[in-house]
Amino acid sequence: MTANSQIFPENSVTESSRIMPCSHGNRPVPGGISPHARKSRMYVAILALIGCIGLNTRADTPMVHPKTGEELRESQTFTYRMLDEAPTLDPQLNQDSEGFDILRDLFEGLLNQDSRGHLVPGAAERYTASDGNRQFTFHLRKTAKWSNGDPVTSGDFVYAWRRAVDPEVASDYAWYVELAGIRNAGAIQAGEMPVESLGVKALDLYTLEVNLERPVPYFPEMTTYATFFPAHRPTIERHGIAWTRPENMVSNGAYVLSEHVPNEYHSRTRNPLYWDNANTIIDKVTGLVINDEHQALTRYFANEVDRTGIPAGQYPNLKTQHPDEAISMPLLCTYYFTFNHADSGHPALQDRRVRTALSYAFDRDIIINSLLKEGQEPAYGFTHPATAGFNPQKPDYAHLEQSERDRIARKLIAEAGYGQDKALEFTLIYNTSESHKKIATVASQMWKQKLGVDIRLMNFEWKTYLVRRKNQEFDLARAGWCGDYNEASTFLDVLTSSSGVNDGQFHNEKMDRLMDESRLLDDPTPNYLQAEAVLAREMPIIPVYHYTSVFMLKPDIRGWPFDNVQNNWYSKNLYRVKHTH
Amino acid sequence: MLHFILKRTAIAIPTILALIILSFTLMHYAPGSPFAGERPLPPEILANLEAKYGLDRPFPEQMARYVWNIITEFDFGPSYSYKDRTVNEIIAQGFPVTLAYGSLAFLVSIMVGIALGITAAIHRSTWLDSLAVGMTVGAQVLPNFIMAPILVLVFTLWLGWLPGGGWQGGQWPYLVMPVIALSTSFMASIARITRSSMIETLNSDFILTARSKGLPFHEVVIRHAVKPSMLPVISYLGPTFVGLITGSVVIDIYFSTGGIGQHFVNAAINRDYPLIMGVTILTGILTVMFNLIVDILYVWIDPRIRY
Amino acid sequence: MSGLTPESGTEQRHISTMIAAHLQPESLPEPEPGRSLWQDARRRIRQNPVAMASFSILVLVGIFALFGPIFSNWSSEDINWNVLGNVETAGRPALDSGHYFGTDQLGRDLFVRTAHGVRVSMMVGIIGALIAIVVGTLYGTIAGYVGGRTDNIMMRTVDVIMSIPYMFLLIILLVMFGQSILLLFVGIGLVSWLDMARIVRGQTLSIKNREFVESAVVIGVPPAFIILRHILPNLVGVVIVYATLLIPNMIIFESFISFLGLGIQEPNTSLGVLISEGASQMQYGVLWQLGFPLFFFILIQFGFFFLGDGIRDALDPKDRH
Repeated sequence: MTANSQIFPENSVTESSRIMPCSHGNRPVPGGISPHARKSRMYVAILALIGCIGLNTRADTPMVHPKTGEELRESQTFTYRMLDEAPTLDPQLNQDSEGFDILRDLFEGLLNQDSRGHLVPGAAERYTASDGNRQFTFHLRKTAKWSNGDPVTSGDFVYAWRRAVDPEVASDYAWYVELAGIRNAGAIQAGEMPVESLGVKALDLYTLEVNLERPVPYFPEMTTYATFFPAHRPTIERHGIAWTRPENMVSNGAYVLSEHVPNEYHSRTRNPLYWDNANTIIDKVTGLVINDEHQALTRYFANEVDRTGIPAGQYPNLKTQHPDEAISMPLLCTYYFTFNHADSGHPALQDRRVRTALSYAFDRDIIINSLLKEGQEPAYGFTHPATAGFNPQKPDYAHLEQSERDRIARKLIAEAGYGQDKALEFTLIYNTSESHKKIATVASQMWKQKLGVDIRLMNFEWKTYLVRRKNQEFDLARAGWCGDYNEASTFLDVLTSSSGVNDGQFHNEKMDRLMDESRLLDDPTPNYLQAEAVLAREMPIIPVYHYTSVFMLKPDIRGWPFDNVQNNWYSKNLYRVKHTH
Repeated sequence: MLHFILKRTAIAIPTILALIILSFTLMHYAPGSPFAGERPLPPEILANLEAKYGLDRPFPEQMARYVWNIITEFDFGPSYSYKDRTVNEIIAQGFPVTLAYGSLAFLVSIMVGIALGITAAIHRSTWLDSLAVGMTVGAQVLPNFIMAPILVLVFTLWLGWLPGGGWQGGQWPYLVMPVIALSTSFMASIARITRSSMIETLNSDFILTARSKGLPFHEVVIRHAVKPSMLPVISYLGPTFVGLITGSVVIDIYFSTGGIGQHFVNAAINRDYPLIMGVTILTGILTVMFNLIVDILYVWIDPRIRY
Repeated sequence: MSGLTPESGTEQRHISTMIAAHLQPESLPEPEPGRSLWQDARRRIRQNPVAMASFSILVLVGIFALFGPIFSNWSSEDINWNVLGNVETAGRPALDSGHYFGTDQLGRDLFVRTAHGVRVSMMVGIIGALIAIVVGTLYGTIAGYVGGRTDNIMMRTVDVIMSIPYMFLLIILLVMFGQSILLLFVGIGLVSWLDMARIVRGQTLSIKNREFVESAVVIGVPPAFIILRHILPNLVGVVIVYATLLIPNMIIFESFISFLGLGIQEPNTSLGVLISEGASQMQYGVLWQLGFPLFFFILIQFGFFFLGDGIRDALDPKDRH
């Protein structure tokens, strides 16, 4: 057992960095990249990217961004629109992306992401991987403090992670700990072992050792999610579920929760005890809950919010009118239709030729260019092409002209015995929503005109729809999947036999074998590509598009992580400039 | 009268109990789990969640526990969708908000609606009638989900007079648009019912008698016709007030008021059982209460009414 | 329906006046009253220009809904692929493109879709109103007339039904019976009569104490006859006005039922669905998507309102206007 993958250089962040933040500059990566690290997942110390901001002298001289030299606005606030109230502000219970947006500011995990989604130190200064990615040791920053002044220690992480799997806490997201492979996580959830048996221990106040059941090379990336944030035990024990109220909460992030009126707004203000507070520029962040997206857009133009989503189909117009405010960036999700492969499925759809015909005849460009118009990428495979370490290699049919695909589709469906004279009839289910409705409607018309397929569209409210899909009461169903972590297996595992998400009940031995094998490989990419090839051949799903995130952002807001495909933004990296040009 | 009020209050208890049993049963048999999502939970986690919320117990026991907790501790349970809060807290936070803009909208619709209705009736078939009818139909044709965005476009974006949403403890600039959006269609309905009822009253014999005695028309209207005409209006107002509370989902969605209206829809969509039960019981209590008030007002209008 | 009016005993001192009242013209049984009442009403409504105009508008809207699509080259589900993606300009209402009302966001012809929507929504409105009139009036008069414990039980039942989370009721129906248009009407019917029952009961409570009813009781007229002859005619005004108020509410309520999955499924549509789709796009330069469906929604409301007013006037024998 050798600590052979020293990721962050020991000296990359030292205590002195608080005094002389710019002293380290851009360091070359020492020691190179571990053989166990996946290719292109570069664990580079990119501290300088965000860290070197310099001493913030808030004097009467106009404030200037220490690194870029841009003149800053006096009032450093950021107000953004939230679609819904966050279901919880308890990191271990959180499963919501908007909740995670808040928690990233309030709490700090072992590692953070930078503007490109790469890892940078957080509560841990560095870590080592050993035992073939089965053991990770994190060395915590000794200067990190809770907002009440207590030091952040390894025990806080042990407590939090045990909470996450504790059957009595019953977190919806406990599976995430199991997914990360931490020893005994599954058994603890099942009530077979005590929570103390979880494979995480505090070697001393500032050293945390994590033991995994299997090699999980991407474990450090998973620690950036809220489930693995630390928790302040005395606070939780004193206040119970009310510990997340502004008056009770003790947190360790760059911000503290200052106000919270559920379903209306919350605000977070800078945490003076945060170890890197000197480099934080935004003073106050406010999240306004505005359910209706059109209303939110109106309020954006009325300067009530600085950031809001763009309603479906409006991106091109807004981009023309406000070129430096309308933004489209990839988001690690894929939209697809899944066939029902179980016994309850439509017999004709068990025929690979019929499935292929439907997929080929489905003109993704129309969906993307005429309907959604948000810069999405047409999907021919399942994995989002922006996934780290995944070298997108489109299947062959992606390179054909649509007319050629249509020709093959007609040929295949005729071979299977269907066509304009003998119409194939089946149902397509989706949950009620404007955009799902539009996509389903357009799809059904495409198939009707090209292949003579007669589709019955059925919408259901969300939970009813989920029940139907889970019970395989459909022929074709709309679905979407977002990566839990930035790695291809988060997508491809969905379509394996052991997956709990495989509502289409697609079972393919080769697929299962490829994905099982991949976990043990130093470079699993070839397996991923082969798995995608299986999907292209068997066509168990019809991939539709890879998501983008589109939103309006006021032009004086800078520091937004446009290249972070998980859209993990940290308010401490944002700032407002005085002049936009 | 006191006897009647006491009796009706006593009847409210079995009524609410019947409501609880019926709603609980409906929820239990409706498909969908509060814990279902795009990613189905592993069975162990689902089991833990069900154990935590007592959903693993037999259905009658769940219901009995629920009722018992309400009776003994006034505890309506935890919310499943807002994990940091109890149903008591959610209702305590949202209900006053809705009550504030709902009551204001109620008052506005009553005052404007009745005034318009009476004006139209006494000036029947004149331009005043046409104007009043035109206004009421005009107010009714725009559903509030159309009205709300228009209000924000005009008053927030173009004129810049009012904030586009929020509540801020109920300061008046935040109240204006919710009250307008919520009151117009109720106002129109009240006006139309008032107008029709007033016309009937004005045609009745006792008014004709009063007029034949030589009393001035306006005095006849004010002294004799208004009160009896209010009967159907009062009947309508009972359910209307409850409707203002439960039907305010559009207001909460468009104006971010943080009221309770949104929970009537969202709790059901999320299958947040305790929150659904909480708002259902609240609706039940309000319904029973306002119908009692309506019945009392009936006697005030028409003293011959007995129950 | 026994025990008719418990109050009758307490007001014996008024019996003489009651009998006198019973002889007053407003409750005198006319010779063959049914026919002459209706004939009279028909004559009156024909002479009411506003009512006839409203009726004509409704008929025209109905004709548009049924036969409008014949005059279009598009079907309600065909997507005009040349328009899709460019609706703001290519989807404008125009005669030469054949899209008289423009297209929706998917490039489908709005003229035909509006016609289909009007068809569904008029049906929803009328059926909702009819259920409310029939069930609500019957329920309300019985509760109000019988009074006492019956009234209490009946009205508390309405309170309970008003308060239950009916979304679950609808979803259970959906699971039990599957998707069908019939379920939509069941869903509408479940809620539409409740307020009507309350209003009617309130009126009945008052009417049954009027002299002409009490005197009818005293001289032994059977309760069913009293309800039919003396109470219902006096309810007509409020019932009709409330029914016309109900129609637009039901048309909007339909889109909620469809949201759950019970009602209209794509590519079919309704006015409620078209209006909410149009409303969501109203800031983005495609105002016709809201304008045309809303126009018909308004026409239907105006039509039913003034027609209802006319019917009310026609059925009110005392109306001297």
